[in-house]
Amino acid sequence: MLSRLLRPDAREAHGRPIVEFNGVTRAYGSRLALDEVDFSLEPGELAFLVGPSGAGKTTLLKLINRELRPTQGEVWIDGIAAHELKASRVADLRRRVGVVFQDYKLLPRLTARENVALALQVGDLRVSDQEANERALDALDAVGLGDRGDSLPHQLSGGQQQRVAVARAVVRKPPLLIADEPTGNLDMETAWGITDLLEDIAAFGITVLVATHNIEIVTRLQRRVLTLVEGRLVRDQPAGQTGRMAWLASS
Amino acid sequence: MAGIILKARFPRRHVVEAVVRNVFRYLFQGAARNWGRNFSSTAPALSSMTLLLFLSGLIGLTGFALYNLEGIESGQASMLHVYLRDNADSSDVFALRQRLAIDPRVISVNYTSKDQALQHAQSVPGLPQLAAASDSNPFPASLDVQVKSINDVAAIDAIVRISPAVDPVYPTSYDRGAYQRIQSVLLGVAVAGIAFLGLLGFVAVTVTINSIRAAIHSRRDEVAILQLVGAPRWMVRGPFIVEGAITGSLAGAAAGLVTFGLAMAGIAEGSASFSQFAPGVTVTAAAAAALIVFAAGLGLGSGSSLLSVRKHLES
Repeated sequence: MLSRLLRPDAREAHGRPIVEFNGVTRAYGSRLALDEVDFSLEPGELAFLVGPSGAGKTTLLKLINRELRPTQGEVWIDGIAAHELKASRVADLRRRVGVVFQDYKLLPRLTARENVALALQVGDLRVSDQEANERALDALDAVGLGDRGDSLPHQLSGGQQQRVAVARAVVRKPPLLIADEPTGNLDMETAWGITDLLEDIAAFGITVLVATHNIEIVTRLQRRVLTLVEGRLVRDQPAGQTGRMAWLASS
Repeated sequence: MAGIILKARFPRRHVVEAVVRNVFRYLFQGAARNWGRNFSSTAPALSSMTLLLFLSGLIGLTGFALYNLEGIESGQASMLHVYLRDNADSSDVFALRQRLAIDPRVISVNYTSKDQALQHAQSVPGLPQLAAASDSNPFPASLDVQVKSINDVAAIDAIVRISPAVDPVYPTSYDRGAYQRIQSVLLGVAVAGIAFLGLLGFVAVTVTINSIRAAIHSRRDEVAILQLVGAPRWMVRGPFIVEGAITGSLAGAAAGLVTFGLAMAGIAEGSASFSQFAPGVTVTAAAAAALIVFAAGLGLGSGSSLLSVRKHLES
């Protein structure tokens, strides 16, 4: 179902990394939230970002989405220099990055379909209502909510709301999806459903970076794991080599 | 197989329609809906701005009337009445008139006889009783000298005083400093009016900025979501500016209508006296004042919102 949503040539279209951090430092006053972080993510890669609370995971995601600027270093997103992007051009970058949050962040007065369609139309005013509705319903269908398009967020369960948020994040077929604790508010069964969805999305060429505390998901999926501790990238485990999560004991 | 002509919609028109519909929805429709929803927080801004604009209209019209009054006073002050002795020799009068007529600082010299002076006095409140109290005509003949510049009136006054044709007791209408006193009063009124308007303007702008700030705060989640899904800056900021413009234009319309209504009532009630204490305030002037008040409201509302959005809304 996801094939209708995702760019079929996404994997081939990019010769460069989708995300590239070069010596990135971010300070809040005298405290370093990120310290000399270097990594890159290739197209279609699914990676987990783990670490104890306050390790800098959210700061790293905010740097990707240009909610923050690095104090030092370079952040490249799909070829865009996010570290020197002017405020007036931030929207261009954000249209290339789908975002999923722990608390879903759906507009409560809009239906599931309207929430998804909003992402299409605010990013591109040329999209007509008919086209936006059709594409939004396709996206909801792809995440298993084709019959709940007219439901308001409060009429949906937490897992369903998170699926709407995923549909909204990918409806524009962005090259990158970032998720900040997407399963944090969900029970394990529902969390697996969301994780499957993220895997499917990555399979169609979208790079997915998930910040999570859910060790069970991280160990079972055997994907690449970036471990942050006190702002430093202390471990970068390639896919298939999850090993022992030493950070868990500390968290 | 016979060809079938399918009439397709012109795609560019379709795109333009979609853009217009989306801009209207996200900018104006959304702003109007939110304005209505946040009316309780907008009401203080609306009322203070209405009060400010109404007072601005009133002060503006008063200022316009005072400006016209000043023009009239200036014209009158540059008119010097030279009062002649009752028994003045006609050759002296003629000589004085000739001298004034050739003076480059003088525009015109007209002679008013005693009878004409009496006739004129009949139309001035209070003077007919004075005339009736006397057996003879108490009003002197005069030369009415229109001086080009008000600054030259004193010099002309000094020249005519030495003429034997001029009444030695009450030689001229010249009152040193009278015009300056009027100017000082008008300047004081203008400064006080501008200061008062400045204070009210500051209050209105502050209240509007705070009401938009409250609106931004109450919709911070919505703003954050719009920013995260890639809404351009104008789409995030625009509705707040439109909300300010709605507040300003409603305040401007209300204040403009009240200003116009009051001016019309004044004109209708006593046109003779009204035109004396508010010269130049006509229906056209009142309508222009109402329009200016409306435009000022629109500008004040959108300007204050723009300031607030720039200050309180992160991009």
